[in-house]
Amino acid sequence: MTASNTQCLLKLMDEEYTLNDYKGSPPRWCTGCGDNAILASVQRLCRDEQLAPEKTVFVSGIGCSSRLPHYMHTYGFHGLHGRALPVAEGIKMRRPDLHVFVITGDGDCCSIGTAHWIHAIRYNMDMTVLMHDNGIYGLTKNQASPTSPQGLKSNTTPRGTHLEPINPVSVTLGIRNASFVAQAADWIPEILHDIISEAFHHKGFSFVRILQRCPEFLEHRFDDWVQDPDRMLLLHHKDGVQISPSLAKVYRNQEEHDPTDRNRAREIASTYHPMPVGVLYRNPDMPCYEDLRKADRLYTPDIVKTVLEKELDKFTIHAAS
Amino acid sequence: MSESLQSLSAFHLTGEKPGKDLADIGQLGLRPALFSAFQDMAKLRHDYPLVLVNGEDKETVMWSLSDLTDKVLQEIAPRGIESERLRKHVLGLEDEIRTLVDQGNKGTLLQLWDMAETNRLSRADEAGRKSLGDNLSRARAALGVDGELIGCDGETPIKVLTHAWASVQENKTRRFADEIGELTVKLSNVLKADTMRSEKAFGAEALKRSVGSVYEDAFDFEEMSDILGSAFIDGAVPKKRQRRIRATLSALKSQRFFDTNEDSAKKGRRKDIHGFVFDRPTRALEAFQERLPEIINLIKAMTIARLEIEGRYNEKTHDAFFRKFDERFLESDELARFPSYMVCLRNGADAKAEKAMLTEVLSSGLPMKVLVQSDDILEEPSITSGRFSFGIQGSQLATLAVGLNNAYVLQSSGSALYRMRESILGGLMNGQPALFSIFSGLAGAPPGPVKNAPETPPYLRAAAAMESRAFPVFVFDPARGDDWASRFSVAWNPQAEAEWPVHRLCYEDEDLQKISEDIAFTFVDFAAADGRYGGNFAAVPRSEWRDEMVPADAFLKLDAKAAAEKVPYILMIDENNTLHKAIVDARLVDAAKRCRQMWRNLQELGGIDNSHARNLLAKEKDIWEQEKERELAALERRFEPGTEAIAPKSDAEMPVAEVPVAEEEAVVAEAPSGEPYIETPRCTTCDECTEINNRMFAYDDDKQAIIANLEAGTFRQLVEAAESCQVAIIHPGKPKNPDETNLDELMARAEAFN
Repeated sequence: MTASNTQCLLKLMDEEYTLNDYKGSPPRWCTGCGDNAILASVQRLCRDEQLAPEKTVFVSGIGCSSRLPHYMHTYGFHGLHGRALPVAEGIKMRRPDLHVFVITGDGDCCSIGTAHWIHAIRYNMDMTVLMHDNGIYGLTKNQASPTSPQGLKSNTTPRGTHLEPINPVSVTLGIRNASFVAQAADWIPEILHDIISEAFHHKGFSFVRILQRCPEFLEHRFDDWVQDPDRMLLLHHKDGVQISPSLAKVYRNQEEHDPTDRNRAREIASTYHPMPVGVLYRNPDMPCYEDLRKADRLYTPDIVKTVLEKELDKFTIHAAS
Repeated sequence: MSESLQSLSAFHLTGEKPGKDLADIGQLGLRPALFSAFQDMAKLRHDYPLVLVNGEDKETVMWSLSDLTDKVLQEIAPRGIESERLRKHVLGLEDEIRTLVDQGNKGTLLQLWDMAETNRLSRADEAGRKSLGDNLSRARAALGVDGELIGCDGETPIKVLTHAWASVQENKTRRFADEIGELTVKLSNVLKADTMRSEKAFGAEALKRSVGSVYEDAFDFEEMSDILGSAFIDGAVPKKRQRRIRATLSALKSQRFFDTNEDSAKKGRRKDIHGFVFDRPTRALEAFQERLPEIINLIKAMTIARLEIEGRYNEKTHDAFFRKFDERFLESDELARFPSYMVCLRNGADAKAEKAMLTEVLSSGLPMKVLVQSDDILEEPSITSGRFSFGIQGSQLATLAVGLNNAYVLQSSGSALYRMRESILGGLMNGQPALFSIFSGLAGAPPGPVKNAPETPPYLRAAAAMESRAFPVFVFDPARGDDWASRFSVAWNPQAEAEWPVHRLCYEDEDLQKISEDIAFTFVDFAAADGRYGGNFAAVPRSEWRDEMVPADAFLKLDAKAAAEKVPYILMIDENNTLHKAIVDARLVDAAKRCRQMWRNLQELGGIDNSHARNLLAKEKDIWEQEKERELAALERRFEPGTEAIAPKSDAEMPVAEVPVAEEEAVVAEAPSGEPYIETPRCTTCDECTEINNRMFAYDDDKQAIIANLEAGTFRQLVEAAESCQVAIIHPGKPKNPDETNLDELMARAEAFN
């Protein structure tokens, strides 16, 4: 429906939200934690898009990252470990008018929640998923996660991890129905913000893996890339993220990448040196589950009651006549 | 001038037939030669009969029988010899149905299908009957649609238009019912949620009822009520809001524009719903004015409902806004969601009487859809008055309406309605006024006193009117854009680029040799098919055919001097398909010229051979040519003997591709040397610097660090912040205060970040 005169006039009367309107309780993350940058980016997005706080919901699982909904002054659901996605899917199904964000971490998403993650990609429901990947369990103080670098010594791996880490971006790209896959780094907030904004505007399941520094338990995980901008690869495209001139001076390693090119996206995703940052893949035509399963009629309480009665009548026991 | 040519010329100039040689075309039962292919319309697969589809498939409002047959055959009869019989049977049935419709049988597609099938089966022999029956029932099952089957007659335009209008209407109703239903449910939920939280819901009695009789002794409901009541009592909906919600709900429920009752089939239609079909524009306009307050109220209620549902209704501002809410806030896209008003005017005379009102309606900007059906565009009075003024009521009306500038205008002959179906729907769907001017092809006097002369069917007459440019097809859609190119189109006309459409006529001469000739179908040919114009033609016997006789379209191109020595003719055929030449009198030729002029006007508006564009092109071409000539002359001068060869400096004059200067690079924040600064856009909000000194370092509106107050901290703090910043974006510069301790050491540490 196009916005008519009346709606425009009514909009004029609406209040304007500032960044402070989205601030919840003060963050309890450590000083120097990359989560702060992600929170700031998300709050900027909400303000830039003027998302009504009562129309916005942040759903999370368990972990440092998953505390984010507490710090947003919107609706939030701090759920069970690994179970953010099914909760978010339920919300989107019942309330397609809400903006749904999912905040999850490498442990939450790639370990205990892997099954939900894979199937959420298949369902391709319209939501923005931010996966904070610091490569360690921080909230429970130093246990290895599926994205921890090989050989990392932690409380659960005193002799070092034996396995190569999982690559969350490659895994997502491997699912047939993936519709938006991006990788961001918390230490390049400009691009982080642009990527989250692209993800928000994409209709479908937008998966953003954010490389996030943990100054407490895995301090030097990303040092190679943070300290040497030449080891980063910034992806840009005329229909997507663009790099500002000042940023281009710092990050000289750039590539124009067409996000419809899935094969190139897979190649880029599998490299670490240089570390790619940008929108890897986007397919706006992938159908969303909530649209496929949309009710063809309005279920008023009366109709629901009638249907239920009819269903329950099947179990009525009649007295023998 | 020979005697016979004299008599031909005399007829051309005066319309009198002096000699016996010239015969009345009515007497001979002559028709335009190009009609020869259309002897029996029932045998020809054309746009009619038409199925006006009802039922679920709203995308296709109508199907032509032949298109539908083709679709079915494509589905059930793959190409190849094995399906040949099936195709033959189904196409045979299609013929049968067309004949039935031509004979005046009425009914739905399936009814006529069954009737035709019975006929076919009864004529089939014993051996073929079974396979015929099987094939036809397979095809019948694959039809998928049903609806009234109509031929091309006087009722067709009204039937097609009202059918299309009704299906647009039905779509609107469905959308509207969904919206009203959704708003009602959600709005009721607000009240229901309030009741659930009220004292009433947590009263001891209500709690007791909800537990049921079996365990009621196990609870102390008074106590329970006290506990629950204390927790939930605040946040109740204020009385004023409750009243507002109730009033809005009742306004939504009592609207009379759509029958939103889902089970209307079961419970019967609502009786109090407004009607929207009128026979006079005046009445439609009155009805609209009468209902305007209702429309405004409903739109108001829907807007309030939406605000209430989202909890955004702010009494301070919105109360005043809605008090003043009136027709000024109505927009055409909002009106487009309401039913449009359909007005059907039959024949030009009706329209003439209502002309003033019609103009008012069409320029009103209201959703009024007017059908003006013309049954005759060559009316008698215009002939007797001496000068032709054909099509006054018909084709001029639409052209006038285009001038009103904000009405959708579609002119079409009845024969082209199927092809124009998308444009028809387009005009019906928007919220703007629309005029549909349609020539049914119905009237016109029977051709002459000759018996057995085949009567021209309405389809053929309507198609001929379109072909001859007497009633061209065009669409003017003001919503399409701001210029003629996007708003106006004549592209649907046959051979729209040409003055007259040209068709090939094949016949045999006396020696049975095949001859093909391309002949134009002009306005003169169209008039020749009308009995009332018999007097304007005279058939010339074969022996008198002369070179001075030229085809009418060629004659129309001649200047006055050349024309004086020629006589125009058209080719006609009689009932035995024998070819005749009939000469045309000057009055009809004049009329044809006027018709051609009007068609040229339309062509130009539609961008075909536009004279402005042509002039501009010629002008530009002149300028271009002159420029090139000058260049050429300059070159020639340069190469003249005695002058120098090409000057080497011309290389330097070559335009060098400009290298874009990265202007913005200069903008990058770079403070004068010695001043401390932060690359704010790269800040990751990690709190390291603000932890060191939150008065010196602070966050901006984007929650990224800036130096808020340099005086509020020491150089040491600046250096420490730079060292702790993981993305190394703090540059401490030079110390401000020369008295600070350990400056040398600090400056050395700062060096790494400057």
